[in-house]
Amino acid sequence: MSDIRNTAPDGEKYEPHVSATSTDAIGLAAGGSAGPLPGEDKSYSQGQLVARRFFRHKAALGSMIVLGLIIVVAFTSIGIGPIPGWWPKGYTLQYDKIGDGAPTWAYPFGQDTGGKDYFALVMRGTQFSLIIAFSVGIISTIVGTLIGAVAGFYRGWLEAILMRLTDVFIVIPLLVVAAVLGKTASGWGIWGLALVLGLVTWTSLARLVRGEVLSLRERDFVLAAQAVGTSPWRIITRHVLPNSVGVIIVSATLAIASAILLETSLSYLGFGVQAPDTSLGTLIDEYQAAFATRPWLFWWPGMLILTIALCVNFIGDGLRDAFDPRQNRNKD
Amino acid sequence: MLKFILRRIGASALVLLGASLLMFFLTINSGDPLKDLRESNVQNKQQLMDQRSALLRLDDSPWERYWDWLSGVGGCFTGNCDLGVTINGVDVLGLTQQAATSTLRLITVATLLAIVVGIALGILTAIRQYSGFDYSITFSAFLFFSLPVFWAATLLKEFAAIQYNNWIAVGQYAPWTIVIVAILAGFLLQAVLGGTTRRRLITAAATFAFVTVMLFVFNALDWWRNPMFGIAGVLVVSAAAGVLVAALVVGLRNRRALYAALTTAVVGTVAYVAFAPMLVNDPSWLLLAVLFVVAIVVSVAIGAAWGGYARKQVMLVTGITGLITSIMVVADILIAHWASFLSIKSRPISTIGSQTPNFTGGFWEQVLDMGTQILLPTILLTLVSVATHSRYTRSSMLETLNQDYVRTARSKGLSEREVIVKHAFRNALIPITTIVAFDFAALIGGAVITEQVFGWKGMGALFQDGLNAVDPAPVMAFFLVTGVAAVLMNLVADIAYAALDPRIRR
Amino acid sequence: MTTLDISVPGPVSAAGDAVLSFEDLSVTFKTEFGDVHAVKGIDLEVRPGEVVALVGESGSGKSVTSMTALGLLPRNARIGGTIRVGDKVVGGLDGRGLRNMRGNDVAMVFQEPMTALNPVLTIGDQLTEGLQLHGIAYGKQAIARAAELLTMVGIPEPERRLKQYPHELSGGQRQRVVIAMAIACDPKVIIADEPTTALDVTVQADILDLLRSLKDKLNTGILLITHNMGVVADMADRVAVMLKGDLVETGTADQVLNHPRHEYTKRLLAAVPHLGAGPGQFGDVAPVVAAPEDLPALDLGNLVIEYHRVGKPTFRAVDDVSLSVAQGEIVGLVGESGSGKSTIAKCALGLIPAASGSVSILGTDFNKMRGKELKAMRRRIGVVFQDPASSLNPRLPIGDVIAEPLVVHKEGDERSRRRRVLELLDAVELPRSVYNRYPHELSGGQRQRVSIARALTLDPELLVADEPTSALDVSVQANVLKMFTALQERYKFACLFVSHDLAVIDLLAHRVVVLQNGRIVEQGPREDVLHHPREEYTQRLIAAAPVPEPLEQRRRREARHALLNKLGDDIAELHIEDDYERPQPKRDEVGNPSGLAGYGGDGGN
Repeated sequence: MSDIRNTAPDGEKYEPHVSATSTDAIGLAAGGSAGPLPGEDKSYSQGQLVARRFFRHKAALGSMIVLGLIIVVAFTSIGIGPIPGWWPKGYTLQYDKIGDGAPTWAYPFGQDTGGKDYFALVMRGTQFSLIIAFSVGIISTIVGTLIGAVAGFYRGWLEAILMRLTDVFIVIPLLVVAAVLGKTASGWGIWGLALVLGLVTWTSLARLVRGEVLSLRERDFVLAAQAVGTSPWRIITRHVLPNSVGVIIVSATLAIASAILLETSLSYLGFGVQAPDTSLGTLIDEYQAAFATRPWLFWWPGMLILTIALCVNFIGDGLRDAFDPRQNRNKD
Repeated sequence: MLKFILRRIGASALVLLGASLLMFFLTINSGDPLKDLRESNVQNKQQLMDQRSALLRLDDSPWERYWDWLSGVGGCFTGNCDLGVTINGVDVLGLTQQAATSTLRLITVATLLAIVVGIALGILTAIRQYSGFDYSITFSAFLFFSLPVFWAATLLKEFAAIQYNNWIAVGQYAPWTIVIVAILAGFLLQAVLGGTTRRRLITAAATFAFVTVMLFVFNALDWWRNPMFGIAGVLVVSAAAGVLVAALVVGLRNRRALYAALTTAVVGTVAYVAFAPMLVNDPSWLLLAVLFVVAIVVSVAIGAAWGGYARKQVMLVTGITGLITSIMVVADILIAHWASFLSIKSRPISTIGSQTPNFTGGFWEQVLDMGTQILLPTILLTLVSVATHSRYTRSSMLETLNQDYVRTARSKGLSEREVIVKHAFRNALIPITTIVAFDFAALIGGAVITEQVFGWKGMGALFQDGLNAVDPAPVMAFFLVTGVAAVLMNLVADIAYAALDPRIRR
Repeated sequence: MTTLDISVPGPVSAAGDAVLSFEDLSVTFKTEFGDVHAVKGIDLEVRPGEVVALVGESGSGKSVTSMTALGLLPRNARIGGTIRVGDKVVGGLDGRGLRNMRGNDVAMVFQEPMTALNPVLTIGDQLTEGLQLHGIAYGKQAIARAAELLTMVGIPEPERRLKQYPHELSGGQRQRVVIAMAIACDPKVIIADEPTTALDVTVQADILDLLRSLKDKLNTGILLITHNMGVVADMADRVAVMLKGDLVETGTADQVLNHPRHEYTKRLLAAVPHLGAGPGQFGDVAPVVAAPEDLPALDLGNLVIEYHRVGKPTFRAVDDVSLSVAQGEIVGLVGESGSGKSTIAKCALGLIPAASGSVSILGTDFNKMRGKELKAMRRRIGVVFQDPASSLNPRLPIGDVIAEPLVVHKEGDERSRRRRVLELLDAVELPRSVYNRYPHELSGGQRQRVSIARALTLDPELLVADEPTSALDVSVQANVLKMFTALQERYKFACLFVSHDLAVIDLLAHRVVVLQNGRIVEQGPREDVLHHPREEYTQRLIAAAPVPEPLEQRRRREARHALLNKLGDDIAELHIEDDYERPQPKRDEVGNPSGLAGYGGDGGN
């Protein structure tokens, strides 16, 4: 920072650094977010600032590690498709039951009623649930961002449709639409389900992006770009969306969390993943009656859903704090 | 204002119409309604298939079928509703009426509870930002909205219902349970009330002692099986609530408000004694409603009479005190009937169904039965919504507390209580109305799952069975009821918004 | 401490003990990035009936200083030294003592009247709560007192206003309400933090008149925090100049403004544009070279711009405006908020459509162009906006920002673009090292230079500048204006310069157009319009603009009052009846007929 100041034209020696050193009560409260940093010569780019704040969010950091572990274990243990994993047992084979099938060293998650290794089964369910959740998150983020950005920028009929669609989702619960579509798509495998769920969950993100774009398009740098003759597409991709990246990333994270809950709920109701595929929701549905006699069949998939959703939510919270530090002002 | 409401109703009707069209077409295209017959091996397979095709009018165009459904619904305005028949030929209207009462009861109770508890928690966490209390509530909120409802429902069934039912057969707390509960209560209360370390320690110790003694006394009296509360209990709790409300709304400086609240509590208790014979022996819902309205009117009148310079606020104080007193009266009567309820139904908390079949008992026993049936699903639904509401209120409140007008209020010398209650709270409520309306749809979705877990024959079952059979009539009936409820909820939210925010009022 | 105290105890300062004093005040904030020393040990006092102006640029610590007097700093602030309000030591008060002091002994007038009032409470509620809190009046009497206060600050129909909400009042009226709230409990001292910065200049003059009569009639001390030297000259008895947390100079208004000692004060004063001084203050403006037969750079003919609002009648923001900017000419567009000046600028840029009328750039009508033609035309216009914080895309490095127009119009290759950017950085006197920096690493003035460089990238024939220096501190503004005139002389672009600041227009423009409510009131050469205005509105506008010289400003103020009298307007002042009774906290039952309102209890917490 100081190099600029020293080489600045003579007359500006007294020029204060607007947002950073503005120690007027309000300026200071919001400080540290946008301006150069007082008391430090090192300067940070926006990305570094975000990363710095994210890594200070302990819960988010811990969640990141836990989620990473779950993903790694779920995909490496039993392998993906034709690639074998390091876990010796399969999810289709029935083994001799040890006692009543309670967890042992050989079967850490226990065995189901037929003697199948429950760890392998749960890992397979986790794989499917994760794949669906992340696909839904990605699809709804892409669709929502595009529609939200276009609706916010061009206004007009697209915006009208978006807003009416949002109204529709106030009247029909998301779960209900998803159930009807999920039943329709049940024959198309998990990718079909992921696609269908992605196509109904984008509206909330689209609304957020639209709101963001509506405020950004009044900002001077967008007006300046328009005045110079920049094409709308370039304005959206170069000026508007990069500045909404915080909102988009946070929403995408939260979309993944709600997608995993939505998918498992649907599978539990019987409108989601269908046999021979499996997911954490279908596992609970299948073994719920065994709760009194073989509680582990019930505990493992539920705990996994809870852990995954919780981790993703915490990561989302950490990202929100990192991108929008306004609410952290009174810490200390 | 009226114009605004009418315009909103008109817009909502259009949205409802569009949504119904979408729903209808999605449903009839979601599968093959003849699938089960096609795969069956019965003799008269073809005949059954033809029969069902005729019943569902599968050969007619979807538009005709939709129009048919719509005109049937339109009949509701002229008094002859026709919601069609199910795949088995049962009249949907009858099914719906039965199902709607229990589901709407569930959703309404959950919504109200979630609003009250969620907003209260949100404000407390905002005021005690970055305290241990804030962190625990924040963590719980995250836990609750990461919770798979169907899974949690099964857990609740096991631990809250079955275990409790086992325990109530004896109805005694083990000493170590009492100690743990008391420690928890002490910790929680000091976290909420806050203050200096010394004050916190005193709060915690006092709470611990009080809870411990109370629980041992309850054990000794076999209170959990033969509970009683008594007139004195009603009076003490109502009066305490009155003082609290007065302190919160106008502050204890205004003695008139305090005395008005106390008067209300006393008058309420006296009235309870006077009306007790009527209330305790099989009253009707109508009588209760009338008495309740009278109670509130009298309370507000007491406030108006004490009045003083802040008459409106004092009336609010007495109104709320009256409400709390009424609730205490009902609670007292219910508690008094607990023992007789237990003798009729030895395992009180139900896990299946929305009411106990063939239940015999007086009015209050039936109320208790309904309450114990609805208890678990309500807790579940409320938890998820409370998580959303409390987080949202917290951030809205923090946002408001940073506004310039709050600084202005502080610079006038207002106390924190006045700043929060009078200046910040109302502004923070404005965005919350919107989220409450949005959340309502999520709540209906949650209700579908909860009903399934708890085996309620409610709207959720109607929807699920209908969808499974690709049978549009029950699915549309589900949509109609929940959709109209959602629209009404939205309307209430809009009106609340307009009432809170003078900038859009006219 | 480098304070040069050249103040001689004058007649005013001799009167009585200080009502507000800071002794060796220091404030430190703990932030994410370490401690920030905002105030570094200053001494200052305000006496009854005296206005002390605390002057400084943003970040000098002047607002922080004032907030310490109310004990209203955020939790991460550490305060050292002694603050006295009357006979109370602020640091020694507990929560209740502090609350008792606020409003009663010291009151605050904030900068933003739009946000300082609670939007969901009526004016009456907000006025009476302070009265009831401090035990001055209750119930009906409090309402009557509130109405009296509104009358005092010059708001007509007070009874009706009490029932209204803040959004139903104009900015000036709201600021009057805030002042009424401040004087409600008759405090010994009022702290006014930039009380007129958010207001139009005519409203500013009224509010200053009101504050002045307030200290005269109620003998209240005022600590006036401002960055505007004109306001200082108009109001202050004594002046204290703050720089980066230190007081560098204190003295009477005449001493500080006319005979500054400290280098910084001198520099600051030299940077203030002086209305009436004409061009040349910050470099000469080149005369217009265009021949009359040349096409005008910008020509607006009978321009009408309307905003369509759902559920409300269409709002006509600009009504029948015709003006033209010759090639190489700077035309100043002045007006108060809501006059439509920025709307016209945006329309000239083709950002909002005209409802009727024509917008011609160098003879071609903007509204009739489409696609490629339009894009080609846009490259001949450059734009500079007001807010340096939002005028640059925070995600792009400076080099990309400036090169963006070249990329959009597909001009040159990588290397030639880079050359052009560096050339422009030199032209706007920025170091080449900012090429790879991001906007948030630059100061406001530097960002505004980048904006200007971007506007000049394509060598436009017309530059539209919408309040380009309004958000800058004066010393920065002076540098930017200097550079601007130099650039204009070099590149000879025509310019539509929108501003609310007549002094800035006076030193730049060849011609001036005055707008009011979307219509042109007066236009003509700068000399005529600004120095010999014909229209009543222009006269008012010019009379209301303060100049940074106490004696001249006093003359101007009296001339303005004479003008208002001539035009039949009221001069804003505190309206006090002869039998006006100072409010006193009442310890008896008046206002509480039954005597039940006890004062023993605390407010709850």
